[in-house]
Amino acid sequence: MERPNTEQPLPSWLTQSQVYQPQADRDGFITKSVLAVSSVLARMRLDDGAAAAFSPSAPIKLVFGLACILLVSLSRNYLFVMLMLAGVLARATLLPQRALARVAATAGAAALLALVVMLPATLLGQPQSALTIAGKALVSTGIAMEVALTTPAAELTGALRTFRVPNLFIMTLDLTLRSIVRLGEVALEVLTALRLRSVGRNRRKGSAMGGVGGVVLLKAAEASQQTHDAMRCRGFEGTYDGGRAWRPRRIDVLWICLLVALVVAFSYLQGLM
Amino acid sequence: MHIPENYLSPSTCAVTTVAMVPVWATAVKKVRETVPREKMPLLGVAAAFCFLSMMFNIPLPGGTTGHAVCGTLIAILFGPWAAVIAVSIALAIQAVLFGDGGILALGANCFNMAFVLPMVGYFIYSQLKDRIGGKNGELIAAGIGSYVGLNAAALCAALEFGIQPLLFTDAAGNALYCPYPISVAVPAMLLGHLTVAGLAEAGFTVGILAFLRSTVPSFGLTEGAASNDKAVPALALMCCLIAATPLGLLATGDAWGEWGLEDLAEMVGYEPVGMATGWEWSSLMPDYAVGNLPEWIGYILSAVIGAGLLVIIFRLLASMAKPQPSFD
Repeated sequence: MERPNTEQPLPSWLTQSQVYQPQADRDGFITKSVLAVSSVLARMRLDDGAAAAFSPSAPIKLVFGLACILLVSLSRNYLFVMLMLAGVLARATLLPQRALARVAATAGAAALLALVVMLPATLLGQPQSALTIAGKALVSTGIAMEVALTTPAAELTGALRTFRVPNLFIMTLDLTLRSIVRLGEVALEVLTALRLRSVGRNRRKGSAMGGVGGVVLLKAAEASQQTHDAMRCRGFEGTYDGGRAWRPRRIDVLWICLLVALVVAFSYLQGLM
Repeated sequence: MHIPENYLSPSTCAVTTVAMVPVWATAVKKVRETVPREKMPLLGVAAAFCFLSMMFNIPLPGGTTGHAVCGTLIAILFGPWAAVIAVSIALAIQAVLFGDGGILALGANCFNMAFVLPMVGYFIYSQLKDRIGGKNGELIAAGIGSYVGLNAAALCAALEFGIQPLLFTDAAGNALYCPYPISVAVPAMLLGHLTVAGLAEAGFTVGILAFLRSTVPSFGLTEGAASNDKAVPALALMCCLIAATPLGLLATGDAWGEWGLEDLAEMVGYEPVGMATGWEWSSLMPDYAVGNLPEWIGYILSAVIGAGLLVIIFRLLASMAKPQPSFD
């Protein structure tokens, strides 16, 4: 018995080989935006800050950092700056790899910028002052970065509460930090969609890029309304508990002593030169 | 052994620097191939040992001072090419921040202490290690290797000093740069290094190596990844060395060939013209001193800054290095 021929011939349009090569288009700006947003997100998520075993509680750390930066700025000679540089370097050696790279990059860039700004002083025969200013920039930025990278964000805002900063301010800060991550994710999704849909030459890509900003803005408004509603539903009455109350650690005493020693060293060193 | 600024003619400095360029290039290539990424921070700790050991000045016969370098130690732990990089960076930090050794003479100093010293020391060590054998064979070989390595480096430095008056003189026959000929420089340098400084180098190398082998066996290129917890004894040793650096102040007097211009003029009766008019870098902490602070405080501060910088530099290099995943 003959089998019926069930095979249908392919439609002619399917048999033709297609050579479709999308026209090259410049979309470097999308890639750049995606990378920038992702790097900010990665930093906010991953480097949430981790306190070391010998770290003081967040309020003490904040006061210590601010006092050190103030003393470094006030010092009129490089002796105290050198002392603080030794301290900043010693702390930096114990940072995790990723945090160390960020501290080095930021502080190094700040120092380099200060050196460039002070370059005329070098040409006028004052290389020492240029080096001192660059050293101050390096040390101050280093201290700020080390404080930021070794303190979880929630503890930092909690520390502000200890200093009687208005609750409204802390709430805004907290909500902003959370919104940045959420809205960053939205921006990333929209940018990826734009990238995927723009095959070949797309003249409207530029205007679509403007749309990304619009979408993020709409989403932000929506999210803020939802947050507001959610907070009202949970009984929010306008007073904000900005984190746990300050719980001092034992090691805080050591850090306070160190701060006093630094202030004494500062006043002694100012009289030396 | 740190040749200061203007003791060598600019042409000598240029020749030694050019000679070092292929050495540095090869060293970078070899270190990328041989030193795993996770071991790089330990190389920084080893470089810090080298930096700190150079701060311990020891009185030598003849009223001068000398110091250990520990280049052979790094060569034994991480290979001779890693030692080239580590000692070179330590020497650069000393020259730029502390004015120990000239900026122009950095190539010559690196040639002596970062190339000749670890290469010779490691060669002797590798030849002797298996022949001696036994429990302490490695330590004995390390001691002999480091002793010979330091003296080879001192000989090179002496020859570089010694050829200056042969090659560079003014119309009156006075030397333009270092005024001592080979017949003076070589015996003067080697007398101190063969007797005391070489032994100090061997002592530092054997002592630190024995300590590391017993407390942190994974320190170096040996098998086993070293985590930060395991390296704690090494870091503790580094802190002890930092605290002990003011001992280096007990030795008064300058090292041979590292005098100030006035002292040199008093000794030879004239100021070599090339040295008096030469360029000089004004470092932030000359001779490891910080302004008018007591010397020992300056020494400890310098030790913390130098050692900290070295550890940070090598940790940053490690973070920049490409990961080498094993697919076995």
